[in-house]
Amino acid sequence: MSKLLVPASSKVLFLGNEAIARGALEAGVSVAAAYPGTPSSEVIESLASVARERNVYVEWSVNEKVALEVAAAASFAGLRSIAVMKQNGVNVASDFLLHLTASGTRGGLVLVSCEDPGALSSVNEGESRYFARMLEIPLLEPADFQEAKDLTKWAFELSEVIGNVVMLRSVTRMSHASGNVLCGKLPARSRRAAFRYDGPIMDSQAGPMISTPVVAKHLLHQDKLQDAVALFEKSPFNRYTGPARPDLLIVTASACSLYAHEAVEMLAVEKRVGILKLATTWPLPPKLLTRHLQAAKKILIVEEVLPFLEESVKILAAGLSADIRKKPHFGKLDGTLPQAGELNPDLVAAAIGKILKVKLQKLPASYAAEAAKASALVPVREQTFCAGCPHRASFWNIHNAIALDGRDGFVCGDIGCYSMAALSPATGYSTMPTLHSMGSGTGLASGFAKLAPFGLDKPILTVCGDSTFYHAVIPALINAQHNRADITFIVLDNAGTAMTGFQPHPGLPVSAVKETVPAVDIEAICRAIGAEVEVSDPFDLDRTSKILTRFLSEKGRLKVLILRQACALSPEKKGKKRFEVAVDETLCVGEACGCNRLCTRIFRCPGLTWDRTKKKAVIDEVICAGCGVCALICPQKAIVKTDLSVSPS
Amino acid sequence: MKKRMQKTEKNVILTGVGGQGNVLASRALAGMLVDAGYVVTIGETFGMSQRGGSVMSHLRISPDEVKSPQIPKGRADIVIGLEPVEALRVLAVYGNPSTVVLSNNRPVYPIGVITGELSYPSMEVIRAEFQRLSASSRMIDATGAALEMGNPVLSNVIMIGALAQTGLLPIDRKMFEKEMNKTLSADKLAVNLKAFDAGVALMK
Amino acid sequence: MAKGLSAQAKLKKQVLEQSLCTGCGACVGLCPYQVIHADRTVQLFSCDLQEGKCYTFCPRTSVDFDRIRRILYDSKDITAQIGAVKGFYLARAADPHLRAKAQHGGTVTALLQLAMEEGLISAAIVSGQNEEGEPEGRVIDKSSELIRYAKSRFTVSPTVAAFHQMPDGFGGKLGVVATPCQATAFAKIRTSDIEGYAKGQSLGLVIGLFCGWTLSPEKFKHLLGQYDLTYEKIIEMDIPAGRSVLSLKTAGSDVEIPLSEVDACVRTACRYCVDSTAELADLSVGAARYGGECCEMAGWNQVIVRSETGAKLMNLAGAKGVVEILEAPAQAFDALKAAAAEKKKKGLKAITIKTGSAKKLLYLSSDDPVVKAYLKG
Repeated sequence: MSKLLVPASSKVLFLGNEAIARGALEAGVSVAAAYPGTPSSEVIESLASVARERNVYVEWSVNEKVALEVAAAASFAGLRSIAVMKQNGVNVASDFLLHLTASGTRGGLVLVSCEDPGALSSVNEGESRYFARMLEIPLLEPADFQEAKDLTKWAFELSEVIGNVVMLRSVTRMSHASGNVLCGKLPARSRRAAFRYDGPIMDSQAGPMISTPVVAKHLLHQDKLQDAVALFEKSPFNRYTGPARPDLLIVTASACSLYAHEAVEMLAVEKRVGILKLATTWPLPPKLLTRHLQAAKKILIVEEVLPFLEESVKILAAGLSADIRKKPHFGKLDGTLPQAGELNPDLVAAAIGKILKVKLQKLPASYAAEAAKASALVPVREQTFCAGCPHRASFWNIHNAIALDGRDGFVCGDIGCYSMAALSPATGYSTMPTLHSMGSGTGLASGFAKLAPFGLDKPILTVCGDSTFYHAVIPALINAQHNRADITFIVLDNAGTAMTGFQPHPGLPVSAVKETVPAVDIEAICRAIGAEVEVSDPFDLDRTSKILTRFLSEKGRLKVLILRQACALSPEKKGKKRFEVAVDETLCVGEACGCNRLCTRIFRCPGLTWDRTKKKAVIDEVICAGCGVCALICPQKAIVKTDLSVSPS
Repeated sequence: MKKRMQKTEKNVILTGVGGQGNVLASRALAGMLVDAGYVVTIGETFGMSQRGGSVMSHLRISPDEVKSPQIPKGRADIVIGLEPVEALRVLAVYGNPSTVVLSNNRPVYPIGVITGELSYPSMEVIRAEFQRLSASSRMIDATGAALEMGNPVLSNVIMIGALAQTGLLPIDRKMFEKEMNKTLSADKLAVNLKAFDAGVALMK
Repeated sequence: MAKGLSAQAKLKKQVLEQSLCTGCGACVGLCPYQVIHADRTVQLFSCDLQEGKCYTFCPRTSVDFDRIRRILYDSKDITAQIGAVKGFYLARAADPHLRAKAQHGGTVTALLQLAMEEGLISAAIVSGQNEEGEPEGRVIDKSSELIRYAKSRFTVSPTVAAFHQMPDGFGGKLGVVATPCQATAFAKIRTSDIEGYAKGQSLGLVIGLFCGWTLSPEKFKHLLGQYDLTYEKIIEMDIPAGRSVLSLKTAGSDVEIPLSEVDACVRTACRYCVDSTAELADLSVGAARYGGECCEMAGWNQVIVRSETGAKLMNLAGAKGVVEILEAPAQAFDALKAAAAEKKKKGLKAITIKTGSAKKLLYLSSDDPVVKAYLKG
């Protein structure tokens, strides 16, 4: 039995995202849709693993907007549904979200946004909390694993009370942290779907689901939000711990409340500091806040990343009595805490220590000095493409084609593991000077390709992953074709959404719940758009380079190269070596003229290291994935590969 | 069932490189302790685990309280290294004079070392640093033992076995077997138990 | 420790960026960092070695040319205008069939065939074309195949790269046919003093070709396009004596392109060249023409025998009767010297205009006696 389906009263270790999934199951969720994105993906993966047992429809949608639309349809039909995404996914979904908040919802609809303060696995640390304020929907933030489950369950109920979508925000340190959770009951029966739309236009339960008449519906929406505020005032999820009249009140939410508790403990100031942990961070419950602001001498707001909560508290305080207004408020706006990056107990302890003039007990100075010395010995570990990663070979080909062409062409990057081509440590041949949101590489390339009359006449290339292709690239590709943008568009097709853990995408004949579904062919789409399409294996360096060289030399049209090779970590490849690879030391030239360590200095595969004593390249059998590409690039043929798929006869 | 453990909390950091099975090991460890009645919090940094980066799990083991998923600097009680410089990297930030270190001795070279721009300290240097910065430290050839068993990734389970043998945490083979039984098939369970035993043996 | 520029970076700065690259291939085929593509020398990846064979062998990096002359030739044979001269002849292949297939007298092919048949060399590197029609060096080890490469294309192929790519274990001696720049590269290779590098010893015979300039294939391809021609359609190219046209023989009618148009397609690097007779070869061969008004002995070659090796081969060819040899008239010798001197003056002038100083001569040194003689000129 899946851990997710343990009976009520079981105590289990859940990942934050698993706790959210269990909460949704306890709420009787019927439909779950998402686009994968770290740190959010495990919510849907968990739900997919029990979809059959719990009669839940679970899908990986093509992008976050469609995921929210799929979930909203279920809500309109009276079912409870959930849409899950990472922070920037909310931006993608936001156009629909605006209209959804205006039409309202029926069955409980929860939008889960798992955010990444500090960008531990993102190329942004964007905030979606502001969407809650901007679009006037309740915002809930769990502060531990139990709450992640319980608050999720409650979010569905709240959504049905106010007839609108509720946003639940998690962060990496919640979603990807684990802790004990006491499970509740799973409902015995699931709801039946029925969509009514024949009632009066203002009837939220039986009328059409539209945003007009806009102003009337907007007023209704705002009225209902006040019902949420009333519930927030009494919510057990908002908790205060500490003295009745604290010297310092910390207002906090999410993982930050754990940091705050830890920091107070580290400084041993439990008797002076109170912590108001809010789970309902927008709209704020004004009475609850006022009570606590009144009782405290000073106020510190602890949150990630921007001063969202702080602004709300200050706006509230501005309307309160003069003695509250005059109390010192510390937070991000005054620089007590940073407005960028994630927080941790040490940063919060330092902030509290500064305000209360309390010193943190430190390690002996001699130890700190030794530790600093040890730190200096430790080499930085930069991210890189894995051993056997097809992207290393793809960018080798791309780099070479650009170099041979000689006109300083460049690659507009996109979001995926291949984004690392923008970092020089990943390979010795970086070619990617732009990196933005999903699909932006193709849009930017389409624009760059139009700058020749203004003096920028270079070959423009762009890359995207297979999953990204479906998510956001297709419109940009159509734009390029229609507007005659001369670009070389390369799909790095590694047969799955590799970066986030091999979720299937529309190009694969398998669904989130492992059913057989129609695959949508990238090649056919590109041909239908009117591009010239070639398909190659990036490990076939010769053929791939030739195609790319030809594409760069042929001007005036959209050219598509699909590079197909499964990710080295994909389930079908992981742990299985295609080739046994070894270095023939007698042939390895090493640092001498004629090679100068092309493999380790330039190609940079973690499975191929440099023996400093022998001054020879050496295969690390533990790391090597057996792709055999290094054997192709070795000028001396000193890297020898033996095909393991051919059994010796 | 609940073994004796000091009333105070324990902070454990399990560190390594993407692909070494760090996340699995920390969850297995935490699963055992939750079953034993502890409140465990794991904070994981694994977003970049697939791309050769450092991977670190913070385990907070408490009799009664959910702790921050990030251990404050200088407050690790136990550092378990699946990779030696990663153990040193963590020790230098989270260690204190009473920290205990248990580390695999097999390097996974960072790309900067492979290119020749950076250097990787020798095992002697690493061992000396461990000694300077900890109350006690031990390095074992977990990857070597795993390779003998035919799969280098088993080194994570070998490290769990070795950790159990130290007696620093209230875990044992029976608890490990129960935990693995939750998810693994019979043949995989057998391999993992063998790896656990190999870890125990390395510490004897 | 502050490092200086790498050999590769110096090559880029001093040769490639100065438009001095002749496309000879001397820096290619030694390593994976440099390749020739579409007649351009491309540095694919950066190499950080301070010393590299790429830089050392390049005919356009500065070197003590006097030292090379002293190693390869008898000092008494050295002339300022056309390098070492042991003998000067008119020659042509004895085989009329070969003459018909070759440029001018077919002497080069006849000499190579002989050298191969007599075991003086076991293979030869000549100019050919790859599938894409780009010039490349071809290794030929059957004397009967040599005739297929007997025509001039007026381009430089990266022949030296083909030499570099020969396996180290190659046992026998190699013969090469080289333009002056390539002959310079081969001379640098033969006389180099690099630890662990002995491949220069396998060069058994360097036959130089007279050369006034070569074409940039890319530019020339474009020009041919204007005449509705492609490289593939051309059977033979020549500049008929006394006429300012490039004559192209095709399967259809012949085409003549005025040299003024062709001039625009001349490789920039050729304008800075001061060697028209392949001075650093074992023997050098060109069309037999002499006198300012250009009388031509149609179907004959002029041959400058420069080294011992060259002399031996020429004697053998005469003795075996594979080459018909005539003593060249003094008038021809003087005319050749005068033309070579003119090329030197022109090249040096172009260099001084480029650098703005008679002291800065790029790959040449103002101390070199040959350079000195023509610098003022």
